[in-house]
Amino acid sequence: MPPLYGKLDLAAWAKSAPVINGYKTEPWILKGARIVTLNMEIDDDPADNLLPATMHPSIPAYAIFCVTNYPDSPVGPFSIAEVRVSGRTGVRPRGFVLRSFCDNENARRELAARWGYPTVAGEVKLYVRHDRVVAQASAGGKQALECELLDRDMISGGDIQYIASMHLARNHDDGKLVLVQVDPDFTFSKAERGKPRVILLDNDAFGAGANLRLANPISATFTTADVTLPKIRYICNPELPAMQGTTKVAA
Amino acid sequence: MKFGLFYEISVPRPWGRESEKTVYDNCLEQVALADQLGFDSVWAVEHHFLEEYSHCPAPELFLTACAMKTKKMRVGHGIIVCVPEFNHPIKIAERTAVLDILSGGRLDVGTGRSATWTELAGFRANPDETKKTWDEFVHCLPKMWTQERYSYQGRSWSMPQRTIVPKPYQKPHPPLWVAVTSPGTEIDAAERGMGSLGLTFGGFAEQEEKVKRYRKIIRNCTPVGEFVNEAVATVNFLYCHEDEAEGVKVGRRLSGTFNYLAAQLLAAREAYPSKSYPSLGLLPSLRQEASGPGDASGAPEGIAIGNPARILRELKKWEAVGCDRVNFLLNALETVPQEKVLDSLRLFAKEVMPHFQGASDSAAAAGGR
Repeated sequence: MPPLYGKLDLAAWAKSAPVINGYKTEPWILKGARIVTLNMEIDDDPADNLLPATMHPSIPAYAIFCVTNYPDSPVGPFSIAEVRVSGRTGVRPRGFVLRSFCDNENARRELAARWGYPTVAGEVKLYVRHDRVVAQASAGGKQALECELLDRDMISGGDIQYIASMHLARNHDDGKLVLVQVDPDFTFSKAERGKPRVILLDNDAFGAGANLRLANPISATFTTADVTLPKIRYICNPELPAMQGTTKVAA
Repeated sequence: MKFGLFYEISVPRPWGRESEKTVYDNCLEQVALADQLGFDSVWAVEHHFLEEYSHCPAPELFLTACAMKTKKMRVGHGIIVCVPEFNHPIKIAERTAVLDILSGGRLDVGTGRSATWTELAGFRANPDETKKTWDEFVHCLPKMWTQERYSYQGRSWSMPQRTIVPKPYQKPHPPLWVAVTSPGTEIDAAERGMGSLGLTFGGFAEQEEKVKRYRKIIRNCTPVGEFVNEAVATVNFLYCHEDEAEGVKVGRRLSGTFNYLAAQLLAAREAYPSKSYPSLGLLPSLRQEASGPGDASGAPEGIAIGNPARILRELKKWEAVGCDRVNFLLNALETVPQEKVLDSLRLFAKEVMPHFQGASDSAAAAGGR
C-alpha cells in the first residue's frame, strides 16, 4: 500500500538521543513567546534519510526552521533554534526535529527530560527590525544557522497552522527509543508573514549531513504567542509505521 | 436524484507505463458500463504532481475518451483550475467548446482554484491570488463562449478583440459549477448562479444548512452565465455488495486508502498561511468524515458502502437534505479489483438506482429493474 517511509539510520541517531524522564510531565505555560518559522522545500529523495520509518515524507518534502524566544519560563528566559523535517505520522502532519540549539542550560535539561527535545548548548539570537526578522544560532563560536523573514506583512493568527513535533528520545525507565509527539498550543496575539531566506546553514550542526538540500522557499511567519508545552499524549515506536506503533499515554 | 462517477485516477507505486495505462483502461471500462446502466455523468479532476493520489492532469483528454465511449452520460470537469499559471482562460474556452462539440453537448464545466501547495508552487502560482483569478475567469468564460468577438482588459489577464472559435454545442453554453470545499464557497456559487459541486461530505446537518443557504441566495443571484444552474452535487464513495459486511469491509478499505493518500499531500494552508485558504480543502474533510464512527454495520454515516439496503438508506438521507446528485469515487490505488468495481456498479444500478426519481427511468431502460 501507500506511500514512502522514512529511512533514518536509527542506530546512528540513537547515539545523540536525549533521555526523557517518563511521559508524565506537567504542561508549561510560556507567555509572550516570539516565534520565527521558515518553511523551505527540500529535495525529496535525500530528505527520506532524515525521517524515521514511523513517518511518511510529505509531498513535497519541506524543512521547518523555527527560532523561538521565551522571555519567561519556570527556568528563566531562554531561546531555542531547531530544524524539523516535515512528514506524516499516518495521516497527521508532523515535523521530525533533527536538532536544536538552546541558550539556557536549565531549559535544555528540562526540555530534554520532560519532552525529549534534542538540544545542544548554543547561542540563539532573534533580531526584530522593521524590514525583516533575523534569527541566528551558533555554538562554540561557530555559526550553525542564520535565516530571516523579509517583507513583513500582518496576517491573522487564525491563518497560522504550526504542526506538532516528533522527538527521538530514550526513555529513562526502560531504556527504549521512542518518538515523542509534542503538540504545543498557541494563542496568538500577533502574526506576520513574509518571505523566507536562509543565509547560512551548517547541515552538520543539525546532524543532517548531505541529506538536507534546500530547494524552493515557501513562507515565513513571525508571531507573538502564549505557548503551552503540553502533557505528552502520544509516543511512537520509531521502527514501526505510525499506524502500528503509536501508543496513547495521556488523555 | 442523479448519480455520477468521480475520478481522481490514483495509481499505485511503483507506477510505470503499464500500470498507468491499466488504471486509465479500467476507468474507461467503468464509464462505459455506467453509461449502459443509467448513470448520469462522469467527472474528472485536474491535479498535477500528486503522485499516487491523482495521475489526472489532463481531464479534457480523459473526458473526451469518456465521451467517445458513451452515448448518454454527461462529461464534467471537476474541476478546471482557474488560475492563469495553470490554464489560460482562452484555452479553457476553446478546449471546453471542442469537448462540448465532440460529446454532442454533454459537457458540464466545474471551476475551482487548487488547494495544495504541491500544485500551486509547481506552477509558481500565488496562493493569495487564486480566489480572485477564479472569480475573474468565471465571469469571462460565458462571454468567451457566447460573444462572436471578445476583448478583455482585466486584473489577472487581458486580450485584444478576437473571435474565439469554436463555440460550444450547447446553447447558450454548458452549465457552470463551482467546487465547494472551503466554508462559504456555496455562497460564492449561489451568488453567481452556478451549481454547487460539493467535494466534501459534511454531516447531514451541515449539508442541509449549506443547501438551504445556497437555494435561498441563488433566487436573487446575478448569474455569470446566460442562465442559472441551480444544482447541488455531493461526492461519496461507492462499494455495493449483496453481503453487508463484505460491502462495508471493502468500502472502508477503499475510503481508507483514498484518505491515507490524500493526507500525504501538502495543503496550501499547512505551508503558506493565507486568508485565501481558511480550510484545508477537500482532502482532510473527506478523510475526517469518511473515517468517522460507524453505524451498526461499521460504516460511517452517509457513506455509500455496504449492501443495497444500507446504501439506499444513506442516499435517501442525502436526497432529503436537498442534494440533486451524488458523484461516486469507485477506487483508490486499485485496492478494489476491477471485476468487483463493475459488479458493484451493476448491483447499485439494479437495486438502488430505481428507487430514485430521475435516475430510475434510465436505470429501468438499461435493464436495471
